[in-house]
Amino acid sequence: MTPRARGLPVAAYLGALVALALAAAFVATLAVVIWLPPRPPDVMREDLVAGHFQVGYDRTVTTGRPPPETGLVWNIRNAPPRTEDSPPMAALQHRLAAALHLSGGQVRVAARHVAQHDVFVFRVRDVEGEAPPEHAPGEASPPESTVSRRVVVVRDGGADVTIEHASDEASEAEAAIPARLPHVAPPAPPPPPPPLPPLFAPAPEGVMLISGFEIGAQLPDGRWLTMRQGRNWAEISWIARAALIIAAALASLSLLAIAFARRLTRPIRNFSEAVQAVGVNPQSEPVTEEGPQELRGAARAVNAMQTRLRALIADRTKTLAAVAHDMRTPLMRLRLAAENAPPEQRERMAKEIGEVEALVASFIAFARDDPAEEARVRIDLTALLQSIADDHTQAGRGVEFDAGERIIVTGQSLGLKRLFSNLIENALKYGAAARITMSRSEGMILVDIDDDGPGVPAEQRETVFEPFVRLSEGGRGAGLGLPAARSIARAHGGDVVMLDRAQGGRVRVTLPA
Amino acid sequence: MLAVTETNQPPRVLIVDDDADIRTGLVDVFERAGFSAASAGNVAAMERALATNGADLIVLDLMMPGEDGLSACRRLSGNGRPPIIMLSALGDDADRIVGLEIGADDYMAKPCNPRELVARARAVLRRRGDDTAAPGERVRFAGFRIDIARRELVDPDNVVIPLSAGEFRLLRAFVEHPQRVLSREQLLDYAFDNDGDVFDRAVDVQVSRLRRKLERPGGAEIIRTVRGEGYLFAVKPTL
Repeated sequence: MTPRARGLPVAAYLGALVALALAAAFVATLAVVIWLPPRPPDVMREDLVAGHFQVGYDRTVTTGRPPPETGLVWNIRNAPPRTEDSPPMAALQHRLAAALHLSGGQVRVAARHVAQHDVFVFRVRDVEGEAPPEHAPGEASPPESTVSRRVVVVRDGGADVTIEHASDEASEAEAAIPARLPHVAPPAPPPPPPPLPPLFAPAPEGVMLISGFEIGAQLPDGRWLTMRQGRNWAEISWIARAALIIAAALASLSLLAIAFARRLTRPIRNFSEAVQAVGVNPQSEPVTEEGPQELRGAARAVNAMQTRLRALIADRTKTLAAVAHDMRTPLMRLRLAAENAPPEQRERMAKEIGEVEALVASFIAFARDDPAEEARVRIDLTALLQSIADDHTQAGRGVEFDAGERIIVTGQSLGLKRLFSNLIENALKYGAAARITMSRSEGMILVDIDDDGPGVPAEQRETVFEPFVRLSEGGRGAGLGLPAARSIARAHGGDVVMLDRAQGGRVRVTLPA
Repeated sequence: MLAVTETNQPPRVLIVDDDADIRTGLVDVFERAGFSAASAGNVAAMERALATNGADLIVLDLMMPGEDGLSACRRLSGNGRPPIIMLSALGDDADRIVGLEIGADDYMAKPCNPRELVARARAVLRRRGDDTAAPGERVRFAGFRIDIARRELVDPDNVVIPLSAGEFRLLRAFVEHPQRVLSREQLLDYAFDNDGDVFDRAVDVQVSRLRRKLERPGGAEIIRTVRGEGYLFAVKPTL
């Protein structure tokens, strides 16, 4: 019947959000890859490590304390460190022992990972075939041996060929270590301990790289000095930077997600408000069709319903007008005919006609009672009650009102007037006088209307609010005053109830302040 | 009570109603009261009667076959038309307000007391001579607004201040005679329908109530007491 509502379905919104999240994650990853320098290696050059240990050992011998350092952990303990029986380590152990003037058993070296910094030439040769361009021209070894040698170099420590090679290559790098040896040798303790040599330096081809190492050497007093590779601090700052990039991506993504959620929920909120307005007042503005497709469809349905509702109300108003016309025209005829009757009969007829008219009026008022029709305004409740009381006093009926503070409520001017008029008239019907009091309690305004009549039995205090219920058999009126009053109060977000009172009746109206 | 008009001619009233019994009944009532009454069964007949004989007052039924009373009233509104009393089977406050806002000078619900209708007809004719505010209009003074059709006072903060019937008539009398001292007798006459059992004291009570409703912190005194003479509405209202 209705064409498809425009706008995207909710699923499209959610799908877009998920796609956006994935894109953001991708961008973050890409940013990490592009913007961050390569992760710092936690491998160290074997020769530098050895030199470092050597200087540290000498300092410990002279000062009696292991050197304080952040990157490496120095310890003095009684037992030698655990070693692994790995041939490359054995070579290093050997060299170190020689440098420290200790026997081979007094030095222990262990490393979790041993690799050799030597890859590039092999790759180039493999691609280019015979002549390796980066290969040093002065190298005497034949190409085949170069190949065989380099095939194994990247392998972890342990393979035979590696050992040979390692010792081969190390011998070149080792030139640095013996060079330093004379400075660190036993002679007299130099008062300022020499600074520890740097641990990181570019690694030339063929140097052994180790990680997760622990080196131990027996001190002159028989205890062991150990140096263990600690945490890689450079790596931590690298991780922090990566985390920063990811956090930034996440933050911008969540901002985006919030904006998205707002965009999606705002129409839903508006919709619920608009529907509530329609529920209270069918004459209210139509619901705007906005937001996702499903919501637009719902808004359209609500608007169609509102139109039907309005047509229904218009129909009912027309019907009621016709009924009023058809009932009151004969009454008016009668009333005019009564003018020709003798005066005492005329008064009686007028009274009877007046009573029938009052009934008709209450039926019509109840049937057309549509609390939604009248606009809401700010109204002075104190003045309203005062004016109703004054009108009754003027007509010689006892209505008393203690005007207190000025209370202003939002409501329908005619509706509220009818509400209180009905209740006060009801009070005067069963008693001779009515008394109105007004108070505030917990955000509600309470208006009590007391009468000095017989009161209402507890079991009937609810039924009196049903239409056409009258308490006394001889009672006049259609029994619609109280139900109408209650429906008006409820349309204002309040209520009307009968309360217990020692003498007489009490009706309490609550209205939101 | 004031005489209707002091001319020799009785005022001419035109009864417009689709019910023949009501027409003849009302014509009877008005003629007995000294009016010269004619009647019409629908709006077209009303217009013919107005064109040939004219009228000083129209009593107009609201619901009639063909064009209804509201639309006729709306069309007639304007200068030179006779005052209109709506007589309608719809008696709600809301209906009354609609009728008055559309331009009727008074509104009565069927069935009504025929003598009250005559009294109101006289009142409408009398007011005509005074050149006062029509019920559909809104009068403003000192930030307040009176909606005559709704019988409501709206204060400068847009809060509706309901008035009792007596207070409303009193305020209307003040607004229609601004910046003039009104004696208690005059106010009684304007505001209390000359019931006879209302005393000067009642005027004072009503005036003090009305004054309290018009009182605003920092606002000027609107109703002034003139010792020994009566009361004065001290601000000039605008339409």
